[in-house]
Amino acid sequence: MRAVVKNRIGVLTPQGFIDGINAPSFLTLEDLHATEKLNIDLLLISLKKVIFFNRNGLDIFVKALDNLHSKMKIAVGFCDYDHKKYSAIMKFYGNKITFSLFRTQKIAELFVSSNKAENHDVLLYNDDPSQRSAMAIELFDHGHNPVIAQSQKEFNEKKQNKDAYYAIINDTYLGLVGQNIATRITGNAIIYTLNGFLDAEIAENFNISYHNNSLNVGFRLFIFDAYKVISMNIHALNFFARLSAAAAEYNATICFVGLTFEKTPETFKNDLEDAGLMFFGEMDDILKDKELLKELGASSAAMGKSKRALNKVIVNELPRFIEATVTTMEMMTNAKAQKKAVQVQLLDIELQEEKIASSIGFYGDIDGMIILVFPQAIAKKSCELLIGEVTDDMELILDSLAEFVNIIGGRVKSLLSEKKVSVDITLPRTYQHIPDLLEVIAQKRGVQVDLAFDDDSFTFFLTR
Amino acid sequence: MVTEKEIQHYIDKIPPTPAVLQQTLAFINEGDLTKAAKAAQEDPALRSYLKVLVNRPIYGFKGEVSNLPQIFGILGTSGAQQVLYNYMMSLLSPDSWHLFKLTDLSFHELQAQLSRKWHDILQYEGINDKDIESAITLLPASIIICEALFKGRQEEVALLRSTKALDYNTILKRLSGKDLFDISEDIANSWEMPQIVIDLLHATSGLHPSSDKTVDRLGRWMHLLLFFELSQENYVKAGLNDFLDFDIDYVEAIYEPFTTLMDIQ
Repeated sequence: MRAVVKNRIGVLTPQGFIDGINAPSFLTLEDLHATEKLNIDLLLISLKKVIFFNRNGLDIFVKALDNLHSKMKIAVGFCDYDHKKYSAIMKFYGNKITFSLFRTQKIAELFVSSNKAENHDVLLYNDDPSQRSAMAIELFDHGHNPVIAQSQKEFNEKKQNKDAYYAIINDTYLGLVGQNIATRITGNAIIYTLNGFLDAEIAENFNISYHNNSLNVGFRLFIFDAYKVISMNIHALNFFARLSAAAAEYNATICFVGLTFEKTPETFKNDLEDAGLMFFGEMDDILKDKELLKELGASSAAMGKSKRALNKVIVNELPRFIEATVTTMEMMTNAKAQKKAVQVQLLDIELQEEKIASSIGFYGDIDGMIILVFPQAIAKKSCELLIGEVTDDMELILDSLAEFVNIIGGRVKSLLSEKKVSVDITLPRTYQHIPDLLEVIAQKRGVQVDLAFDDDSFTFFLTR
Repeated sequence: MVTEKEIQHYIDKIPPTPAVLQQTLAFINEGDLTKAAKAAQEDPALRSYLKVLVNRPIYGFKGEVSNLPQIFGILGTSGAQQVLYNYMMSLLSPDSWHLFKLTDLSFHELQAQLSRKWHDILQYEGINDKDIESAITLLPASIIICEALFKGRQEEVALLRSTKALDYNTILKRLSGKDLFDISEDIANSWEMPQIVIDLLHATSGLHPSSDKTVDRLGRWMHLLLFFELSQENYVKAGLNDFLDFDIDYVEAIYEPFTTLMDIQ
């Protein structure tokens, strides 16, 4: 059983009956190794299609989840269950529960980083006050606004007003959280939340690939929310200095907010300022100051890094990129593709208002970015397989397009690995408006391939 | 990926019911098991299939049963028709399995388990109808069709499924407008299987509840039975657990009696 990954959440979905005999077959060693390679913050086992489980079966899943939590430093748990299943699990594990329980995947998504700048009002209740507080803190950390019911009665009253909340959180339990650093996006700024003592472990817990991806796709302001930091040592200081130096290549800015120097040497502040980091007392000092935001680069998504040319290695692999794209497009549309033109040039898109786009970065032995530009009609068609119906809902189309480009990224990775070229792929990004895309890639040259699928045209662009 | 043309090509290649089988089934329909056994005698492969089948532990005979009239006598008209349909289905199964990690033996075992447990369910429901008893035999057709259409496309499907939890049936339906059950219906028509078999098959999919109360209820039983079997260790390992979509709500009404009948604790 392999996980489906969306928004950095991996979900495994067993079906039917689970007991101590068949549970190991759902999560084989091969499956666990494949899961370890995923770039995720949360791994869940969905119980939506499980009609029966017993303690022995669940024990095997819990053991596997615990191992993955330790190895991957991610949060793990179960989701998609009803009250009866929730009660059974709580009865099985009582106060020894280490994993999380999210009544729905939608609730789980509120507790992880997202590429979307969405803050939601949510109603929260748990009869355990410490759980209520822990969940409320996590939700705040991820930029949401939890309304906390202090009693079952208050919860029952408040939940009558369903429309007031994006989600109603109950029958949910927060176990050990992931040790990776929480990340959220506000506008064009990325906010990382730090806690406690910062030492050499910061390098392990910080998701550097996510950060590099964010730089690659055009983010230029990175804020470390350090209100809950107690102190940092020299290893952490060196880490931030290196991060700042790397960001400078992209003309990006890194800031600390709320860091106090009671237990951290004052000289560290000077060293970090010398490395290019900036310090602010309050988050609002930055986020509510439009002029400052503009100055720091958060009002623009433009690429700051000096333009890098396509190199021979990447051009050699071009056929693989095109093959991955074409076969995936053919799979999704059930139509045959025809290559029309291949040229090294600036991205040139005609009839921009009728098109949408998506991009995905890759890095490792080679690095670069694949950009796909779709006429809206072909985008809709290629997403039909994922959505299951024809839709005009642009948000749904863009979401599916992100999944679609993720499939292409996965295919590129697999094709390159056959040639012993190792790459990782970044999160996909979508563009409803082509000018937004053009702003991101600025004057970068790349290989543009124009393809035709039946009567529709489609553009593939590979750049660095 | 899978096109309508490929599906049509697959359907066109479904072999007609062999003459010996047609005749054997006709005698069974007349209730003449002696003549049915005599007709079956003409097909060495069928003869061998029947002998191996009834001597499996699931049938619980102490000594070896090898005489065809004896076998037909043991099976009765309902059992004999069901076994013959199972045999026809096995003629359609591939020489070697690629998409699913199955063997002839494990596929036959699945057929046998489904048939046996379906028989228990029908007894519980107080239904004694040989066509309904045989309806279970068409269910594994969906596995054979899935293997045939997707066997060269594991990588594409794996990539697609890494992004979205889609079962094979949904993928096929979205690509071609036809699902595994529609194609199974084509097989049933080609083999002139009774209409009740087809109706039950569609109800079993969980996608098309029947307006006939009996068919609807039996469809729910069969849906749950299928996923009970596909949750068994060997079939999970074979990759069969998620090839179709299991609908918990659909089987809610018969879940409690099912657990009692199957002795699930």
